Amino acid sequence: MYLVDGWIISIEVTVFAALLGIVIGLLLAIVKFSRKPPFAQFADWYISIIRGTPVVVQLTIIYYVILADVNLPRTIVASIAFGINSGAYVAEIIRSGIQAVDKGQTEAGRSLGLSEGKTMRYIIIPQAIKNILPALGNEFIVLLKETSVSGYIALNDLTKGGTLIRSVTYDAFTPLLTVAYIYFLMTAMLSAALSKFERRLRSSD
Amino acid sequence: MIKVIDLHKYFGDLEVLKGINTEIKKGEVVCVIGPSGSGKSTFLRCLNLLEIPTKGEIIINGVSLTDNLKNLDELRKNVGMVFQQFNLFPHMKVIDNITLAPIKVLKMKKEDAVSKAMELLAKVGLTDKAYEYPSRLSGGQKQRVAIARAMAMNPDIMLFDEPTSALDPEMVGEVLEVIRDLAYEGMTMVIVTHEMGFAREVSDRILFMDEGIIYEEGKPYEIFNNPQRSRTKEFLSKVL
Ligand SMILES: Nc1ncnc2c1ncn2[C@@H]1O[C@H](COP(=O)(O)OP(=O)(O)OP(=O)(O)O)[C@@H](O)[C@H]1O
Ligand SMILES: [Mg+2]
Repeated sequence: MYLVDGWIISIEVTVFAALLGIVIGLLLAIVKFSRKPPFAQFADWYISIIRGTPVVVQLTIIYYVILADVNLPRTIVASIAFGINSGAYVAEIIRSGIQAVDKGQTEAGRSLGLSEGKTMRYIIIPQAIKNILPALGNEFIVLLKETSVSGYIALNDLTKGGTLIRSVTYDAFTPLLTVAYIYFLMTAMLSAALSKFERRLRSSD
Repeated sequence: MIKVIDLHKYFGDLEVLKGINTEIKKGEVVCVIGPSGSGKSTFLRCLNLLEIPTKGEIIINGVSLTDNLKNLDELRKNVGMVFQQFNLFPHMKVIDNITLAPIKVLKMKKEDAVSKAMELLAKVGLTDKAYEYPSRLSGGQKQRVAIARAMAMNPDIMLFDEPTSALDPEMVGEVLEVIRDLAYEGMTMVIVTHEMGFAREVSDRILFMDEGIIYEEGKPYEIFNNPQRSRTKEFLSKVL
């Protein structure tokens, strides 16, 4: 069954890419905040290059150019490509979540004699998390939909599954609308879970 | 206790402090008044190095702050600060707001920090709010917690930047009451305020700042009843 197999692949790619994206995003954010010139510079480049080019182009470059000679399953290649892409967005989400915390909070912490690190850890991060988590949830909803271009590297994900069925049955309507419906169901469920979670976060302050 | 020598501060090309010289003695209460934009906040924030002076020297208890920019945290814990916007930590209960720095910076034991915090809360009249989140408090209560939080570090000196300016009028009194108590206990304080009646009552000395300098200073009755210089007179005629 093309759709079921494709659906599983789409979910696999999304989950791996999301995990990789979080790791990369965290590292980039830490590096940026460390203000160590060569690394912070690298993080800036990384983020602007990734954000300034289409994800399909990144995916095909990684598959056909960078990893062309490496024999990796396409699911893994797609996960890496989308993870690298997502990392840039996650880094920006973390950065803006931290910067959204009122400057007065840092000043209050420092004026009590807390070091920069302790101020971050006990005062800024716990508040920033409340900005970051909902935005991360959104990022992963976007990511799920973006994996639909995996067909460009001949990976049989959900979207590709619909296309395959269409070309075999000569019926476009049913498979493509089914695909759309499945994506919609998944994102709707994620959104619902997310807004429930957001309400919980907000009620705690 | 605090000596300020030729303090200058630039923000980019803008010279905000143009050479401040003053000395604050132990137990002295100094109120800073002056028009908006004259550099009062900047001066205060230089005293605990939230702003780094461009030039000049600040000496607290014989230690030059400006020569010790590496040991900022060490120096800052002896200088308490209370902000106009309270800046309580919204994700922590009142008690945790107060005990955080004593535990993490002074390495106090949790139970000692808590009992100290309860003492301070009793002093500011908020024992019953210890386990509330700041969002449940009124402005006046928030500011009293902020004062207790700063006091928990046993600072040698307390800085207040317009502690009542963000409050509804009916809450100003309760905060001034707490500050007045500190004054009577002999706390060394520098208070930027627009409450002229309060400044006159609690302070040992008034600094009138204008355009980045201490334009005139003196005992409260000298400044308020008999100002010597033109801009002081002009300012007071507007605010009194
Ligand atoms: N971080 C900053 N960057 C640039 N300019 C600043 C900064 N902080 C203050 N200034 C400027 O410095 C001048 C003095 O500001 P300051 O806040 O010290 O005045 P103030 O006497 O406290 O005024 P107010 O009574 O309004 O609080 C103002 O012109 C202000 O715009
Ligand atoms: Mg000010």
